[in-house]
Amino acid sequence: MALNVKIGKIGPLDMLKFSKMPDVREQVIQSTPLSPLPKAYASNAKAELYHPKWQKVVIDEIRQNGADAKTLVLKSENGKALAPFRAGQYISLAITIGQTCTTRSYSLCGSPEWAYQGIYNITVKRDDEGFVSPFIHDHFEVGQKLTISSPEGHLYYEPIRDCKKVLALAGGSGITPFMGMAYAIRDGFEDFDLTIIFGSRKEEGIVYRKELDEVAAACSKVHIVHVLSDEEKEGFEHGFISADLIEKYAAGEEVTVFMCGPQAMYNFLDGEIGKLGLDFKHVRRELFGTIKDPWNQEGYPEEIHGKTYQVKVVQCGQIYDIPASADEPLLVAFERAGLKAPSRCRSGECGWCRSRLLKGDVFIPAKTDGRRWSDLEYGYIHPCSSFPASDLEVEVPAEYLNL
Amino acid sequence: MQKYDAIVVGAGNGGLSTACTLAKAGKKVLLIEQHNLPGGVASSFRRGRFEFETALHELAAIGKPGARGEVYELVNENYGVPINWVPVPDLFRAIHVKDDGTVIRDFTMPHGRQAFMDKMEEYAPGNREAVARFYELFDESKAALNYISSANGHPDPKVLRKQFPNFLKVGSYSPMDVLTALKFTDDAKRIMGTYWSYMAVDMYRLSSIFYLMMVGDLVDGGAYIMEHTSHQLTTGLLEAFRRFGGESWFNVRAEEILFEGKRACGVRTTQGTVYADHVIWNGNPNIAFANMVPKGVIPERELKLANARKFSARMFVVYIGLNKTAEELGIKDYNIFISPGLDTADEYKRVGRMEKIRSTAALCYNVANPKIGPPGTCQMSFTMAYSKDVWGDVELRDYVNLKNQKAREILELYERATKTSIIPYIEEIAVATPWTFCRYAAVPEGGVYGYEAAGWDNCMARMMSLDRDFTIPGLKFTGAAGPRGDGFSESLLTGNIVGKMVLGEMMAKEGK
Repeated sequence: MALNVKIGKIGPLDMLKFSKMPDVREQVIQSTPLSPLPKAYASNAKAELYHPKWQKVVIDEIRQNGADAKTLVLKSENGKALAPFRAGQYISLAITIGQTCTTRSYSLCGSPEWAYQGIYNITVKRDDEGFVSPFIHDHFEVGQKLTISSPEGHLYYEPIRDCKKVLALAGGSGITPFMGMAYAIRDGFEDFDLTIIFGSRKEEGIVYRKELDEVAAACSKVHIVHVLSDEEKEGFEHGFISADLIEKYAAGEEVTVFMCGPQAMYNFLDGEIGKLGLDFKHVRRELFGTIKDPWNQEGYPEEIHGKTYQVKVVQCGQIYDIPASADEPLLVAFERAGLKAPSRCRSGECGWCRSRLLKGDVFIPAKTDGRRWSDLEYGYIHPCSSFPASDLEVEVPAEYLNL
Repeated sequence: MQKYDAIVVGAGNGGLSTACTLAKAGKKVLLIEQHNLPGGVASSFRRGRFEFETALHELAAIGKPGARGEVYELVNENYGVPINWVPVPDLFRAIHVKDDGTVIRDFTMPHGRQAFMDKMEEYAPGNREAVARFYELFDESKAALNYISSANGHPDPKVLRKQFPNFLKVGSYSPMDVLTALKFTDDAKRIMGTYWSYMAVDMYRLSSIFYLMMVGDLVDGGAYIMEHTSHQLTTGLLEAFRRFGGESWFNVRAEEILFEGKRACGVRTTQGTVYADHVIWNGNPNIAFANMVPKGVIPERELKLANARKFSARMFVVYIGLNKTAEELGIKDYNIFISPGLDTADEYKRVGRMEKIRSTAALCYNVANPKIGPPGTCQMSFTMAYSKDVWGDVELRDYVNLKNQKAREILELYERATKTSIIPYIEEIAVATPWTFCRYAAVPEGGVYGYEAAGWDNCMARMMSLDRDFTIPGLKFTGAAGPRGDGFSESLLTGNIVGKMVLGEMMAKEGK
């Protein structure tokens, strides 16, 4: 029997009802009052406060911190709150030096509470061979205006994932995210047991010495262990942060390990932590940072070392021809040429600088290759972790806010 | 100044599809996108050693060799994007569970007409004939839609009445009305209604035709995902667009749609001003009307329409990467719809409140796609949609804790319903709230489904109103807020429809 669906009492009326649907719809539209449409919606407004693309701040204070680091107290330009952050996150600072527009990421080392008062703290260690940190140390002044990103990064405590006890392994200025975590625990933003094993060279050069001791004294969940590599003193551990030391302070409990420090420390700790047989999920590391010695990385094509290549850059319909050293990330070549290219983590991870390689080859060290699967298929690269290995043609997205 | 035939603002599924349609026809097209990668919510993101799919659960309309669906024809054949589609094993499993963990119903439905019917009979005896009638109605409706489309939206009413009487008779009703008319039992209706959460509108207010087409296509053709996440689709679409000669600017935000008199003529962007005869906006019209256009250019009727509509589906998603395989964890299902099994109208009301999470669509990607992710791991996601902007009331200070609490609720719900332990194996976790979707997709209230395709504004009514809806000279809208409503397939197909409408206007102007 042929299908004969019946919903209303009379079939033909249902058909008529169908053909009238646009008219019914039109009647609803025409009978709707003409009110002004909202400019914003509640969730959108909150999202904008939580994740602004950039934030404007003023340097409120600069103070020496340890032997070779300075802490910058940043205040929001408009006096309002800055974006909230998870302790351990970083901001990317946009900075112009001469014709070069570049960025550097710095962990937020104040309390998350202070963000609501419009205050962030960052700490910059001077590296005399670096490009940006000597400039900050020598030229930044109180009252100066800066542009910074929203808080970024994933080195923070996740109660669903991490153990109740965290061992934070810090080297030198790598203490900064853990300083933030210590404050966050003290001020009730986080709830876990934090033992910071902090490696410095000598006692007199310890960054955040006083603040760490104060927080540890005030808060029973924060513990600090100082490890000195260049001197032996009572009350301090001596040497490097080793497997034995980690085991000693884990004290038989299940722990999650967070690490932040220089690349040499990560390379050393990878071996030490390997000895402990910790689950991969319980070992978490801050951004690796820009690789400065690509020639020491596995798979490096020896013949490119020291060479300079020509790069054709396409950006929003404009074309630029620039030189690029094989020894530096491609991103640095853009910046040296005065181009405004997007970047944030500068470690291959966040993908902010993602660009399209149209022609040529690059070398990408495996440990800083944070690309998506299909980006490999379609030839996208992260210029912050890609080293030119031939003449290139690259399409780069805009950096749309004026730095 | 640079002049294009068309400027497409937004590189989501809809924008990409419209851009491809126009560029393939030889038009000079500029695509601008505020982010540094295409896709909008159709994307992926990295955490640790995992790459997570952001949004797609599954696609219908891919079909099999010899019987390809509309989306395959559009994406793979028309645009030439070489997507490797991975089939999803079963249609779905659904578990109706009480708060104390008591399972009320647990059913797994396969694809294929006979298999689906047999399973239905097993779970809800006495519905064989109803299912057969459902297939018959599906076939008739599909043929009717093909006829309407072949008649360019102006079908002969006589042909419709003669050949497609049932299509006409059910066309103005809801899926619930139709299931009742087809004589499904109450239990069977619950099974047939499982997909309502994909539409985020209860079974009393959806268009029966669109629901019928979705379920029928899934039963017939099965469901698919991309081998390399949605990022493969949207990066592939962008690649096709470039191959067709299109130009794309990323990290560029549109700040104003420019008008000459009452006609849109260009876009002011963060990279300067660009002009075109046609502007296509892949975003919500309400946001464009309120913030992007000069006063007085939008016809009153369009503003009333924007006022009359409601936003849809404010998403909350938990993504996890686990350090055990699906097999080790005992996970056998790709997708499980978990809920208390209430009537869909009650469910809809319930998800309009910030209460304990009791429903989710849970996925384990590795069950369908064993190649995804590193060896020894698996990855899952848990989604629910809010029917109101309840996250808008959350204070900044409470956000992180609430996010974590809700994540725990949804994960525990899964553990309770499936009696499977997953939380101890979480290696990476990311939680997306409606705020996250506001941030990445610039959608109002974090609603990624455009407008509710419900009641007077159901998709059938929208499709029949194409001539009335696109009234702003030089400005059209594409994407989830478009006529075909939400979802990957629908946005891609809407993108094509809108592209063709623009091409039609271009040809009319050229006098062809």
